[in-house]
Amino acid sequence: MLRALTELLLLAAICGPVSVFVFARRLSFVADALTHTVFPGVVIGFLFGGASGVFLGALAAGLLTAIGLTLLDRLPSDAATAVLLTSMFAVGVALVSRRTSYTSDLTAFLFGRILTVTMSQIVETAVLGVIVLASLAIGGRAFLFRTFDPAGAAAAGYRVARLDLWLNVIVALVVVAAVRAVGTVLVVALLVVPAAAARLVTARVIPMIVVATALTAGAGYLGLWLSWTASVDHGMRVTSASAVVLLLVAAYLVLLPLPSKGRRRDLVA
Amino acid sequence: MDALRLDSAALGYRGHVVLEDVDLALAPGQVLALVGPNGAGKSTLIKSVVGLAEVAAGSVLAPGPIGYVPQSGLVDQDFPVSALQVVLMGRYRRIGWWRPTGRADRQVALDALALVGLAARARDRFGLLSGGQRQRVLVARALVAAPRLLLLDEPFNGVDALSRDAILRVLKAAAADGTAIVISTHNLDLARSHADLVSLLNGRQHAAGPPSSTLTPELLRQAYGGLVTL
Repeated sequence: MLRALTELLLLAAICGPVSVFVFARRLSFVADALTHTVFPGVVIGFLFGGASGVFLGALAAGLLTAIGLTLLDRLPSDAATAVLLTSMFAVGVALVSRRTSYTSDLTAFLFGRILTVTMSQIVETAVLGVIVLASLAIGGRAFLFRTFDPAGAAAAGYRVARLDLWLNVIVALVVVAAVRAVGTVLVVALLVVPAAAARLVTARVIPMIVVATALTAGAGYLGLWLSWTASVDHGMRVTSASAVVLLLVAAYLVLLPLPSKGRRRDLVA
Repeated sequence: MDALRLDSAALGYRGHVVLEDVDLALAPGQVLALVGPNGAGKSTLIKSVVGLAEVAAGSVLAPGPIGYVPQSGLVDQDFPVSALQVVLMGRYRRIGWWRPTGRADRQVALDALALVGLAARARDRFGLLSGGQRQRVLVARALVAAPRLLLLDEPFNGVDALSRDAILRVLKAAAADGTAIVISTHNLDLARSHADLVSLLNGRQHAAGPPSSTLTPELLRQAYGGLVTL
């Protein structure tokens, strides 16, 4: 239980800041795409290397996707991207369906197993977290500039395509870090919802990061507690990861009616 | 040494030439107005200098540092940044990857905002400013890079008189300090009164030189295809 909480708090510290850039850069689609492509990577890694192969499989698939998406981003249509993603996902399902423990494996890959997280997984998450946060700290200003005004950033001498690849790789690493705990599907929620909710409260980048991280940490703690109480005291089976995500979404919905600070442009005139 | 030099340049995007036969030389402190109808290639010329458009033939030389002011409508106005943060972006290349933004950088940015008359709006969100104020912020951002060449793409589109005068005042001071300035504009009066050189464009360069010899009825009719009245 303590290990699960540690893992979730680590993920909060990683996903909070990264989600703000995902939100600002409108990369929600990239986050979604990664979950589709990391899934077959996870499955292949598991088939070849067991539980420890999952990490490497996810890492390889994540990095390949980051490069692929940066290249496909240059194309005028996103249909090719969509076809590729769907087929990758299908490959994952086809591979996993050949196993006898099909349903439980599928559930684990898609929704994670936060309660059985091991110490070595926590260490892996922490290491990835340090890498992600350090490269975000170094590249943060450039990402901000590129997101706000790509032409201006290029004129200032930034290589926009390289910055795009860099941020896509960061998002891929986050997906890899989070995939075993919360699964490929729910990791999107951790990358999209915190910043979207934080944006309802503030229009500044640093406060957005703080709020997004705090929200994820809070939802992680409450979600674990809720699923624990539900299953132990009331005999209901609630996946911890989905409880966490549902709490995040609930926070977003609660914040939605707030008169936010210049959220919409039509308030400005 | 010229702040900007184009020799027999042909410019465009992805192999498609938009503007050709451009010969220009701009000395430090000179103001060049790019004049021509919509689609003439004014923005393309500016973009070719900062590497956002291709040089298909000839050459484009600008030793830099270059300040670039995009059309303010083209930047993300919903983005969570303050006016001060936008101006600081102009310093990022100097700051580099590793050093955090320091007090000196902040002061330079605040001074630039004061120069365009927006010191009081430093903490306001960029998207909440008026069109003219946003344009002034983008000019301030270009200035903090201490450019040798300043490029402005239609800086007066949708800009109120107050902001226009503020921008013109700042540009005049920058030119007096030796910054070469390139402005694309539809406003012929402005080109006549403020530019040292005019380049008359429409798919190719029809004329280049001082306003008195380029903004003539004959040449304007050529460039605008007979659609202009003086």
